[in-house]
Amino acid sequence: MILIDKTLIYFVIATYLFITLAPLLWVLSTSFKPNQEAISFPPKFLPDSPTFDNYLFVLTDPKLVTSLINSLVVSIGSTGLSVVVSALGGYAFARFEFKGKNLLISTILGLFMIPVVINIIPLYIMLANIGLLNSLLALVLTFQILIIPLNIFLLKNYFETIPKELEEAALIDGCSKMRAFWHVIVPISMPGFLIAAILSFRFSWNEFVLPIVLSNRPDVMVFQVALYQFISLYRIDWGYLTAGINIALIPVVVLMLFFQKRMIRGLTLGAVRG
Amino acid sequence: MKVTLEARTGRIQPYLLLVPALAILIGFLLFPLMWNVYLALHDVSLTTILGNWKYVGLKNFDNLIHDHDFHTSLQVSLIFVGGSVALQFFVGMVLAVVLNQQIRGSNTFRALFIIPWTVSAVITGFSFKFIFNDSFGIMNYGLGQLGLAPVSWLSDPGTVVWTLIIANMWHGTPFTVIFLTAGLFSINPVVYEAARIDGATKIKSFLYITLPLLRPFVIINLILITMWSVNFFDLILVMTNGGPLFSSTTSSLFMYRQGFEFGLLSKGAAAGFLLIAMNLVLAYSYIKLLRSKEKTIEIRQS
Repeated sequence: MILIDKTLIYFVIATYLFITLAPLLWVLSTSFKPNQEAISFPPKFLPDSPTFDNYLFVLTDPKLVTSLINSLVVSIGSTGLSVVVSALGGYAFARFEFKGKNLLISTILGLFMIPVVINIIPLYIMLANIGLLNSLLALVLTFQILIIPLNIFLLKNYFETIPKELEEAALIDGCSKMRAFWHVIVPISMPGFLIAAILSFRFSWNEFVLPIVLSNRPDVMVFQVALYQFISLYRIDWGYLTAGINIALIPVVVLMLFFQKRMIRGLTLGAVRG
Repeated sequence: MKVTLEARTGRIQPYLLLVPALAILIGFLLFPLMWNVYLALHDVSLTTILGNWKYVGLKNFDNLIHDHDFHTSLQVSLIFVGGSVALQFFVGMVLAVVLNQQIRGSNTFRALFIIPWTVSAVITGFSFKFIFNDSFGIMNYGLGQLGLAPVSWLSDPGTVVWTLIIANMWHGTPFTVIFLTAGLFSINPVVYEAARIDGATKIKSFLYITLPLLRPFVIINLILITMWSVNFFDLILVMTNGGPLFSSTTSSLFMYRQGFEFGLLSKGAAAGFLLIAMNLVLAYSYIKLLRSKEKTIEIRQS
């Protein structure tokens, strides 16, 4: 369907492309400037003498390095947990008929709509009382509420695209349903698990609301919170901060660009068809 | 032994498969949500968090309703949510339609447009705090070059909300683009072909074919971006911390500040309860909207 003039189309695209990329490129350029030059006015579009000092600072500061490691541990842990838990749940919805199935499906969809912000105060009090406050485990567990609903639908839809005949053959051979799941479904569902894993990683890596409330002690701090802490206490060193921003960006942007097409499909499958 | 166990558990097997997911969702999502009401009726602060909490009835709600800053936060929320949703939806719709025309490189453009959505809210906040800095920000430099007066993007109480809306638009629009693109993909091109043969203009086929077929996507998209805007506060926390004073404190940030800046956890819980109510009302009215439109179309068709 051609609705409007091509020149206009390209004008709109070019404009928004500029809006999209300019802030990131500006931050990227700043990250190679010394702290003083970063806030010079009039601003210099490119650094006078590019330096890697900012990156070196971020990657050697003990507090920041700890937080980077914490972020990785939490993100990988919560990704693994969510894929396993969601695969089991998704399989139940895709291949079983049982009482209350529709009710459960709409409840889980509804839960996905509940913003996590609303829960931070009760979660904080609850974790304080069971002694889980300021622990990486608390983050791995609470991050699940952001991810599981989406992943269950994603994997449910993925399993439904697999022909039932494949399992039936295994069932006739005397396999139990769970063994059929493990030996037949799991191996051919790897692409689905991959999408689920990338989405989980993105959510976990970027999450800020839960960690700033639930674990902001230096030894259990994640990178997003560490960036926030280390700048707001003193004056802001924009050179260091922009370098930190870029380091935080690398994993998610690389993953997303690499798997962009699958991501769009996966996301919309999960969000719409549920 | 495994086989007999399976035979015995055949019926409850799907429930067993769902136990881990449900346990986590109930424990960390549903229970806190309900418990919020209990907390709002008691006196809990950061200092008494482990102690016995006194029952105070509706005192927290009473405090809240008479808190001038809470009134401000409702106004700020209204502007922030209204502005964010309108901008994100309009720009997102335009981009989704534009990218859906047969043009070269649309996949590449889509990939690039998604980037801001993969960037965390915190990082978006920092980047725009830097760009919109009153004294050395590149935005004011650009205005200067155009011969315009600098704007106090983040320190003027009247402007600051709009600065936040711009940052939120940058961060949130890609989701609408992706979502509506998926909707456009779901429309069979044959429909347009038929309309063209029947002599429909392009504008007409957009208004009478694309938009109605896109409606479920539009409604779900609006629900999601509205709720996200209502509850979005990490971006604001980073950019302004709700300031100057309370001029950019939305209701969700108000809740956070009560709880963790002033230590009044139960007053925050009360604000959280009102926030839940707001979300429910919004979701309900959107769904109502979806239903009523369906009805008018049915009438038109009959």
